[in-house]
Amino acid sequence: MSLVAAAGINPHGPKPQRLTLPRIGLYLFLACAAAFFLLPAYVMVLTSLKSMDEIRQAHIFALPAALDFSAWATAWGNACAGNECQGVAFGFWNSVKIAVPSTIISVLFGAFNGYALSFWRAPGSKLLFGTIVLLGFIPLQVFLYPMVRLLATVGLFATLPGIVIVHVVFSVPLVTLLFRNYYASIPIELFKAARVDGAGFWRVFTSIMLPMSTPMLVVASLMQLTGIWNDFLLGLVFAGRDNLPMTVQLNNIVNTTMGERFYNVNMAATILTAAVPLIAYFVSGRWFVRGITAGSVKG
Amino acid sequence: MHRLGLSVFCSVAALSCAAPALADPIKLEVANSWTSGGEAAAKQVIIDALAKKGVEWVDSSIAGFESANAAFNSRLMAGNPPPVKAAIAGLDQSEVIGQGLMTDIDATAKAAGADKALPKLLLDNVTFDGKIYEAPIEFHGESMYFYSMPVFAKAGIAAPPKTWDEMFADLDKVKAAGLIPVAWSGQGWQEVKTFNTILLSVIGTDGFNKVYTDKDEATVRSPGFAKAVDIFNKLHNYIQPGSENLNWNDATAMVITGKAALQFEGDWAKGEFVNAKQTPGKDYGCEFAPGSDGTIIISDVFAFPKVKDADQQKAQQILAETVFDPKVQVDFSLKKGSFPVRADVDTSALDICAQKDVAMVKAGKVAPEQAIVLTPAQNGTLTDLISQYFAAPTSTDAFVDGFVAMLKNA
Amino acid sequence: MGIGSRSDKGSGNLPGPTPLAGQVRRIAMGERRRVGRVAVPMLALLPVAAIVVFFYIGATLWTAGISLTDSRLLPTGKFIGLTQYQRLFATPVWQTSLVNLVILAVLVIGGCLVLGTLLAIALDRAVRFENSFRTIFLYPYALSFVVTGLVWQWLMNPGLGLQATAQQLGWTWFVFDWPQHRETAIYAVVLAGLWQGAGFVMVLMLAGLRGIDQDIWRATRIEGIPVTRTYWSIVLPQLSPTIATALILLAMGVIRTYDLVVAMTNGGPGTSTSVPAKFIIDNLFGRQNLGLATAGATVMLVTVLAVVVPIAYAQNIRAARRRNAL
Repeated sequence: MSLVAAAGINPHGPKPQRLTLPRIGLYLFLACAAAFFLLPAYVMVLTSLKSMDEIRQAHIFALPAALDFSAWATAWGNACAGNECQGVAFGFWNSVKIAVPSTIISVLFGAFNGYALSFWRAPGSKLLFGTIVLLGFIPLQVFLYPMVRLLATVGLFATLPGIVIVHVVFSVPLVTLLFRNYYASIPIELFKAARVDGAGFWRVFTSIMLPMSTPMLVVASLMQLTGIWNDFLLGLVFAGRDNLPMTVQLNNIVNTTMGERFYNVNMAATILTAAVPLIAYFVSGRWFVRGITAGSVKG
Repeated sequence: MHRLGLSVFCSVAALSCAAPALADPIKLEVANSWTSGGEAAAKQVIIDALAKKGVEWVDSSIAGFESANAAFNSRLMAGNPPPVKAAIAGLDQSEVIGQGLMTDIDATAKAAGADKALPKLLLDNVTFDGKIYEAPIEFHGESMYFYSMPVFAKAGIAAPPKTWDEMFADLDKVKAAGLIPVAWSGQGWQEVKTFNTILLSVIGTDGFNKVYTDKDEATVRSPGFAKAVDIFNKLHNYIQPGSENLNWNDATAMVITGKAALQFEGDWAKGEFVNAKQTPGKDYGCEFAPGSDGTIIISDVFAFPKVKDADQQKAQQILAETVFDPKVQVDFSLKKGSFPVRADVDTSALDICAQKDVAMVKAGKVAPEQAIVLTPAQNGTLTDLISQYFAAPTSTDAFVDGFVAMLKNA
Repeated sequence: MGIGSRSDKGSGNLPGPTPLAGQVRRIAMGERRRVGRVAVPMLALLPVAAIVVFFYIGATLWTAGISLTDSRLLPTGKFIGLTQYQRLFATPVWQTSLVNLVILAVLVIGGCLVLGTLLAIALDRAVRFENSFRTIFLYPYALSFVVTGLVWQWLMNPGLGLQATAQQLGWTWFVFDWPQHRETAIYAVVLAGLWQGAGFVMVLMLAGLRGIDQDIWRATRIEGIPVTRTYWSIVLPQLSPTIATALILLAMGVIRTYDLVVAMTNGGPGTSTSVPAKFIIDNLFGRQNLGLATAGATVMLVTVLAVVVPIAYAQNIRAARRRNAL
């Protein structure tokens, strides 16, 4: 016990490091990696601020002659995809309407199932869990036609509830895996204590486990929001003409088969479409890491 | 024609015919993948004509054929198809028609005189079981190349080549002048069309039809076919680097800006030239591939899935009738760079390239594009075969064998 | 991902009028409690079990069934045995797809694991700007594959991208046009996949590293063991559950690769970057060949089962052995 500690003064924070050669090497490595990761973003942003003439010059790393935001305005409000000239704004609210309920429902459903599969030793839990994880490896395309027929039978094909159901069902493997592993790392004593106190199945979940799952709720919600927002195929097939998400709109603008491509508008539209998940990550990145830190990956 | 349509509609809908503006237009959803500027303008022609007849076109466009197919086919599977779909004549829709999922427009078409005005080749490909099911809106010609006149002048090419030997000699001249001879779009579907252009120019319209329509193995194994394959292969020496996955219109841009001499392309390329304010005959030229005695055509049509609602059914027939309207045909073609399917329309307003195609059609010198006479599965295999061959040329015999296998595997 | 192990010592004791009656009562209550205890969770798991059985398994069986017919655009009932499978394995595009999947699996999973771990280790060394670095490495994960594919296609375009810029600057030897050549195109896809996924692995590994007991460092410093050796022999083995989770999530993503390929190369040049998911979808919709598409899907399913089931089984055995050994 050092004198300093005995005196009640404890040093905290990272130990100040000297700038040794290994340290320099470390920073160099990080800088190179950062450049690798930032390169595409740099090009995208730059291109969206240039005029088409500049772009045809094909110097993708050159700075724009002038900061031209007109491509952004076009991408948001006027970009034409066929006869509709509404930009990607048109799809924005559709994406929100699809992504928010899908995320909330799929995460809660996953938490509930992960909880039921981990603390309670119901017969067949292991088999069920194993099967669920296995299903996560199968490409979605396999299930497209059956899902189409299923939804058509219950009259939900090409509706908003339909696409939400589709997203929830297809995220069962991933979200169940995340929560089941998270709960597996929570000490069993906690669970036992709650049971001894007389709490039933539902009560343990709502009063104890769910509040404790905040970190994982954040992680799962972020992953789901990103995945669902960026989805193209499921939205195209199941959402119905009136609910087409932003990604479909983006595809219409960017991938017109015939006709000139306005790369600056395309880049701006792409960034706009990616904005929501990006912002979500910037804002909650810290919780994301904290969430994964909090024992969710002890496997 | 309009009065006939109006009175038909009025009597059917039992609405007052006092004014052209009717109570509530019938909304008709049309699934298509015409999302570019020129295509949108062309659609507008039909939209306006329909509006006058009390039908409102509700556009359901998805860019990219694969995505559009995904959306449409899944709706078909769900039993909830859109009432109208843009498609290609021939085998493209044959399965769904055969399964009884589509409505025929036989009466409307005959009333519009389609059975007389359409070329026999096309009529046969929109008729199934003796009834007309599809309404063709346009022809696209796919046997030409478009060349930059300034580049030809710079390379010292006085006139477009008449044979393939002359063509290669001219391409060498372009190379010597330091420019790119052939602007190439390295996408599968583009390479198939270019191959076919060459094929027809070498073995003629009859030979082409023997290969694709009759699936005659002997013709595929003929020396003429092999010569076409060799020419196709030889083009490797004349295309620009970086052609892989290049969009066709980016390749056209090379011709427009004078970086490349020519591009083998369908007549929709004209839209790019128009956008760049260039005129055929002055800034750019269009010629059939050397030695062509006919033209490859493809036809975009409207197909009509069966729907239950009586109003929708009326609207379907109205659209069919509008499509057959000669004026709509001409206006549509002007905007889209295609040419009309009816033989009895006034084509003087069309540009000189379209008129060359029209002349061929009138003379009966046409061959249907492979998508009309092959099943979609065969078409896919063909695309794989040709694009793989161009990316990594094997022996001609291996290619021919692969081709024969594709034809046999319906 | 181990199968959870929960030891349970059973219910408590209950008093009874006579020892025997009490014993009977105890057993009865225990039974009831156990039944009560399993009835509720079983009921709770009913929805997800129903989804798994009726939808997932039902759909899989339906898919396998269709693969035995000659369905084109719409399902027919005509049974033709294993013909579709014969056609499938005679199709060069399918063979290429399988090979590409293996290449992607090995390189993307391996690459993301290695790069992600290195980045996590680097960030764990108490560097400045950790938050900024972390954001930079993680943001690609938020982008869709379509965006990623498009941008990397540009960067690797010989006329437009890095190669053009470098050569304009005078470095004429610099070549970076992987998507243009059949032999290298798939590696372009690998690179884009790596760019997108490494950050996520980094976050997982960083979390795991932060959970390591920091006393290890003191101990190894005293012993004089070099840092790299510490990582390799002590830290990483402790992180194996984390690595396993990352591996599973990556594998799930790689098998489903579709959007990335379509955006970057659309399967080209020729057919050299085909992947199974794209093959299935192309035949499902575009080529109107349901029979062939479902045959491909069934093959993938069987392959996945063949790989994953033995691993899970072996893990289960190992966990059980560990439990018995304690």
